[in-house]
Amino acid sequence: MTGKEKIFELLGKVVAGSKADFAEAVFLGTDYGLTRYANSMIHQNVADQNNNVSFKVAIGKKVGVASTNVLELESLHKTCNDAIEIAERAKPNPHSAFLSRPARYKKLTTYFKQTAGVTPAKRAAIVKRICQRAERKGLIASGSLTTSVSEIAIVNNKGVAAYQPNTSTFVNMIFSSADSSGYAQGLSRRFDMIDFNRLIARAEEKCLKSQNPVTLEPGRYDVFLEPVAVANLLEWLTFIAFSANPYHEKTSFLSGRKGKKIGSTLLSIYDDGLDIKGIAFPFDFEGVPKKRVFFIRKGLGGTPVYDQATAKKYKAKSTGHGMPPGNTGGPVPFNVHVAPGTRNSVKMLQSIERGILVTRFHYINGFLDPPKALLTGMTRDGTFLVENGKIVSGVKNLRFTESMLRAFGNIVAVSKETELVDTWWSDIGCITAPALHVRDFTFTGKTEF
Amino acid sequence: MKDRLKEIIDYIKHKGIDYADARYVEQRSESITVKDGQLEAVSRNAGRGVGIRVLHNGCWGFASGSLLEIRDLRRLADKAIGIARASAVTRKAPAALAPVDVKTDKYISPFIEDPFRVPLDEKIGLLLKVDEILRRQKKIKITESSMDFFRTDKFFCSTEGAMIEQSILESGAGYEATAVERGEAQRRSYPNSHRGDFRCAGYEFIRGMDLDGNAERVAEEAVALLLAPPCPAIETDIIISGDQMALQVHESCGHPVELDRVLGTEISLAGGSFMTIDKLRQLKYGSDKVSIVQDATIPYALGSFGYDDEGVKATRTDIIRNGLFVGYLTSRETAQIVNSAPNGTMRADGWNAIPLIRMTNINLEPGEWDYDSLIADTKNGILLSTNKSWSIDDKRLNFQFGVEVAWQIKDGKITTMYKNPIYTGITPEFWNSCDSICNRNHWRIWGLPSCGKGEPMQTAHVAHGTAPARFRNVKVGVSK
Repeated sequence: MTGKEKIFELLGKVVAGSKADFAEAVFLGTDYGLTRYANSMIHQNVADQNNNVSFKVAIGKKVGVASTNVLELESLHKTCNDAIEIAERAKPNPHSAFLSRPARYKKLTTYFKQTAGVTPAKRAAIVKRICQRAERKGLIASGSLTTSVSEIAIVNNKGVAAYQPNTSTFVNMIFSSADSSGYAQGLSRRFDMIDFNRLIARAEEKCLKSQNPVTLEPGRYDVFLEPVAVANLLEWLTFIAFSANPYHEKTSFLSGRKGKKIGSTLLSIYDDGLDIKGIAFPFDFEGVPKKRVFFIRKGLGGTPVYDQATAKKYKAKSTGHGMPPGNTGGPVPFNVHVAPGTRNSVKMLQSIERGILVTRFHYINGFLDPPKALLTGMTRDGTFLVENGKIVSGVKNLRFTESMLRAFGNIVAVSKETELVDTWWSDIGCITAPALHVRDFTFTGKTEF
Repeated sequence: MKDRLKEIIDYIKHKGIDYADARYVEQRSESITVKDGQLEAVSRNAGRGVGIRVLHNGCWGFASGSLLEIRDLRRLADKAIGIARASAVTRKAPAALAPVDVKTDKYISPFIEDPFRVPLDEKIGLLLKVDEILRRQKKIKITESSMDFFRTDKFFCSTEGAMIEQSILESGAGYEATAVERGEAQRRSYPNSHRGDFRCAGYEFIRGMDLDGNAERVAEEAVALLLAPPCPAIETDIIISGDQMALQVHESCGHPVELDRVLGTEISLAGGSFMTIDKLRQLKYGSDKVSIVQDATIPYALGSFGYDDEGVKATRTDIIRNGLFVGYLTSRETAQIVNSAPNGTMRADGWNAIPLIRMTNINLEPGEWDYDSLIADTKNGILLSTNKSWSIDDKRLNFQFGVEVAWQIKDGKITTMYKNPIYTGITPEFWNSCDSICNRNHWRIWGLPSCGKGEPMQTAHVAHGTAPARFRNVKVGVSK
């Protein structure tokens, strides 16, 4: 690790000495190891260490961005000057906003020595345990185990100096047989909090139970969406619906529906980077403290997340969702929570007369018709037919094509248990989701396995 | 850096390993985005580092870092060896590499005008001009145009004695206009969706795109889509335009023939493949009209290079020949399994990524039809153009694509415009229904700069040569 003092000293010197009206440096240091396995053996085992520094500078309303991975004073000065040169030649953008000022950040413990100390040998030993368990049952294990350390810092010439060190552990495992597969995943900042045995048992059970799958015809079915499947759907909504640009450009299903009913009263979805039930992180890449933002509250439409530029453009306040310099996609919610319900998930399943249990979705796409939040994708790694409250067989995978507006209106139960699900960037966030029982979910196609 | 790489390879040689390679990669990029009439961002990124891959007792280890002193590289090499040792706990059959010609060579991708030397004003000015034309249509509410340039310089050095130097320059641009009205949004793009079209070329490629010359039409089509009827849900003949055909080839042929995926090593992320080894030279993948090749030797195509990141020279090989599945994309490790020579498709997304089997230029070979004749020959059908959405199952069988626009074909003529078109199928059934492909006059290569694969995710620059083609009895408009 580079360390807070050295980062602040180096970046502080560069931004303070810059001739730009505004100069900001974003530091992202990573040191990770990843062990990937397939056919019940390790086939890829890698480690990487890198530091990246991005400078965003402004001269008046003209902005330039440049980045480097050479953490030496001379290179940092050169990169900052490159950004200034770009800004000098750029056109002014009236939406440029440089309001970051020193702020108080919530103290969060996001770094754990034990995770940072995990060696390739330790990861390999865990993978060996996973593979041996699969082979004992005549199954094949595939997956990956990642441990990472990261440092994120934001320093600008207006006094902002934010720093947060992080650790993260993510494991996924797929157990497969000739005609079935089962999935389990675990995510935590703490390596010792991952219950590998429980996950192994889950992947194994799903794989064994889904053998000899039956074919179901496309149509509308009740679905029991496990937390990973729920998170898979929400991952797309973070981009097409929950961000300021689609909301104000009227391509989000939330647009024009603030305070209006858009789903079951059982449903609340919010982003909260400070909620330690998820993968918490205290500030965004503009040094703005994270704020809680409700997208849907008890079925009623809410508001999107903002960074500084979209806040200025749309006359709102930054909610602490700015991305690193150079991003053109607008703000992103990285700490999404679906509020838990009150139902026990086992009892929820028992209440389904006939339906489909979905472990996870695969290759979802949300560009079909964004204002309707129409998504399509496939089921994968554990799809089951439920009859009279019991899993009766595995099901060959199905394609769904469904409007989330419609699905959210058809939620009849939300579990009290939730799971942390890995999404875009597990160093700084995840999706925390319960299981959902949704009526009349639309499947439009089937496949051969 | 060449000398340092040689020195570190010599250091590794004395460690009793089976094989090792070291890659130094220096990357530079520039990205310009104009959105809604304003310059949204100009950013330049630079990075460099070394990745060392070691095969020890048949197990792989890889370590990468950005510190380049020889002492740092020795630490990196030791780390890679340590990781390879750790991998041994699950070893079954030891990994081994197919022999290849060991090369000392240099490759520079061809270009005329270095885009990094073109004044920023000129590049921004062109995008602002395009944006202004797009926004003349009042119902166009969202516009975005962009240019991206990449320069990669790399050295590859192996314990077998290879020393390969490559310099690759890539350029691309594109734009999209979205019309929004009464809770509906319709988009058109040029020259393709998802940030446009890309080539291994200089700024001359951008100059030849006629970006501003197409802006008025693109905006008009986006607005027209607001009033267009929805694409009907029917089973009908379809003609897929070249731009959408590129993604069709990409998802339903390019990915499933990656031999590492076939052997299961991508299951933890994007899944496996139905094109298993037992189907090689047996599976009737498509109709007799369908021939698909991988060809990394085409000048200016985005998937071209001199050597892959295992030091294997770029090749052209058959994948599908007259409908029969005949070949995979392979690495030195996997090619032996199918008794073939490695075809040079192992590429890494920079110094800090391990090489994986990646698409190069995966091309649907042209047929014999003139485009107008193909339309005239179609009694009832739908013409589908420009990708909007993509989804395929984890063995690459059931796919569904959404496109930006469709038109009805009635009695050999293009008639009504349709919005929100979707089509779906099962890969081999679909390709076996292909009865016509347009000729070389309508064939071109489309560059895709964002092909994702691997953990951690790597992005590859690939391309697809395609021409419009007709498929019989395909399900369209299936969203209910």
